[in-house]
Amino acid sequence: MDAQVLILLVVFFGLLVMHVPIAVCIAVATIVTILSLGDVPTAYIVSQKISSGIGSFPLLAIPFFVLSGVLMGEGGMARRLMDFANSVVGRFHGGLAYVNTMTCMMFGAISGSAAAAVSSIGGFMIPEMERKNYSREFSVALTTASATTGLLIPPSNIMIVYAVVAGNVSVAGLFLGGIMPGVTMGLLIMGACFLMNRGKQVGSGDVASLKQVLVSFGHALPSLLLVFIVIGGILGGVFSATEASAVAVLYALILGVIIYREVAIKDLPRILLKASKTTSIVMILVGTSQAMGWVLAYEQIPQTVSSALLAISENKIVILLIINLLLLVVGTFMDMTPAVLIFTPILLPVVTRLGIEPVHFGILMIANLCIGLCTPPVGTCLFIGCGVGKTTIAKVVPPLIPIFVAMTIGLMLITYVSGLSTWLPGLFGL
Amino acid sequence: MKPLRNFLVKSLEIFLVSAFTALTLDVLWGVFTRHVLASPSRWTEELAIYLLIWVSLLGAGLTYEEKGHLGVDYFVGKLHPDARRLGSIFVELVVLFFAGFGLLYGGWELVTKTLAAGQITPALGWQKGYLYTAVPIAGVFFTLFSVEHLFEIFRKKADEKELSANKEVDV
Repeated sequence: MDAQVLILLVVFFGLLVMHVPIAVCIAVATIVTILSLGDVPTAYIVSQKISSGIGSFPLLAIPFFVLSGVLMGEGGMARRLMDFANSVVGRFHGGLAYVNTMTCMMFGAISGSAAAAVSSIGGFMIPEMERKNYSREFSVALTTASATTGLLIPPSNIMIVYAVVAGNVSVAGLFLGGIMPGVTMGLLIMGACFLMNRGKQVGSGDVASLKQVLVSFGHALPSLLLVFIVIGGILGGVFSATEASAVAVLYALILGVIIYREVAIKDLPRILLKASKTTSIVMILVGTSQAMGWVLAYEQIPQTVSSALLAISENKIVILLIINLLLLVVGTFMDMTPAVLIFTPILLPVVTRLGIEPVHFGILMIANLCIGLCTPPVGTCLFIGCGVGKTTIAKVVPPLIPIFVAMTIGLMLITYVSGLSTWLPGLFGL
Repeated sequence: MKPLRNFLVKSLEIFLVSAFTALTLDVLWGVFTRHVLASPSRWTEELAIYLLIWVSLLGAGLTYEEKGHLGVDYFVGKLHPDARRLGSIFVELVVLFFAGFGLLYGGWELVTKTLAAGQITPALGWQKGYLYTAVPIAGVFFTLFSVEHLFEIFRKKADEKELSANKEVDV
């Protein structure tokens, strides 16, 4: 390891633990490293990489999916999705837990935000579950974990971020690739609930007739259609992912403002502002990461890491296990977007040398970091869940452990059964 | 201080809402011309990319005002409040360096070099150098808001709630 690599690492981690915004950590570590190279127009390179890194047409899908997600989540979508889930899985013993998970999966996918899923679904599901004898801590743990599955089910902004940093990975491929892993995670969480609630006096949802199932599906359909418009549009070759995201905004607007009348025109500036702030948080990270990517490539750091990791083992199973453990640790401290931006350029070359497909690795990485969103000490979703459920992280941990085990089993399946993420894209030649 | 801050925040908010609206309409118009009119417009994609740069960079400035950027607050959370206060002064100084050197100076270099090279965008024929002014302007906002944070730190004791200022977005 030469001096520059050391400088980059020391500055980056030094600033990171001091609670400097991650984008600034990345930028300053990059600046200091380039300065140490001498005789390079550092400031120019950094600002040029930031602006060109942000200014890419594929990335435009991010602001639009954020906006359509906020628009969709505004009104009664959570209720309608819940009613549909209730009619399907509510009837079983402990059914409300399954209703919670299924609702979170759908809401998370459509809104693209696990945080929004936790606060919207948790807001009414946690009290409702408490009324039917579930412990509040269990409900919070369940909502928190279930909400993250929505990030694997398309449309998903983190996949766009991954596609852009990985380069040459199709967004459509990732979108399709995430469906089965996302559903698998959801089913495993439900399985954990089944085992945890066996023999307990917990209530179910409603027993619905086929007609009621169809009616509630009809009510949920307009919201669910957003996913089908996006995926269908992209797969049918009608839209690029960016165009599909803009169409999703139009659809969400028509649905929210004209059909459901749950979004008032006067709310739009507030919604646009919220979406533009979220966009800027992601984009400044993307821009600064592109600047760091320049240094990484200049210093051939990915090659160094590759050789170091492959020196430990050439075994695919072992390397993937090491990477998973590393990402699990990273995920407990860091949010998803920065983790994907920082670790993709370093780790992707390692795994591609072992013959792992970029789509598979992207899904694996996202599934792994989803677990980090609901683990202490720093789990965004866990914080929100505890806030909504008015409880503490320490109390939520015991019921979270079995769910965590289920998610880890899911992660292992996603890691070692590549077909889960590559079969569906393969059907469409992606 | 306060009126200036409010004026800056309000201006940024108005800019962001307008630019985001324009961005949405622009890309939708692009979709419309490609699929309905069957004669794809050449400039929509170009305009969209620059609007995205402006929304992202100026939005990042506004988000910084609210301390909304992602960071790892776990370790400083363990510190004594006094040490944490010193830590937050250090954070502002690092951000000032980023804003001053990376965004302001670097952005200025980017703008002047691009203008000197006379680069224009292919479809719209605009000077790229002017479009890149988003970078130094973002630098100005980061600097101003960082100074505002420093004033706040000096005016009062370390603020507990700042540590978990923005936990509502997962990105």
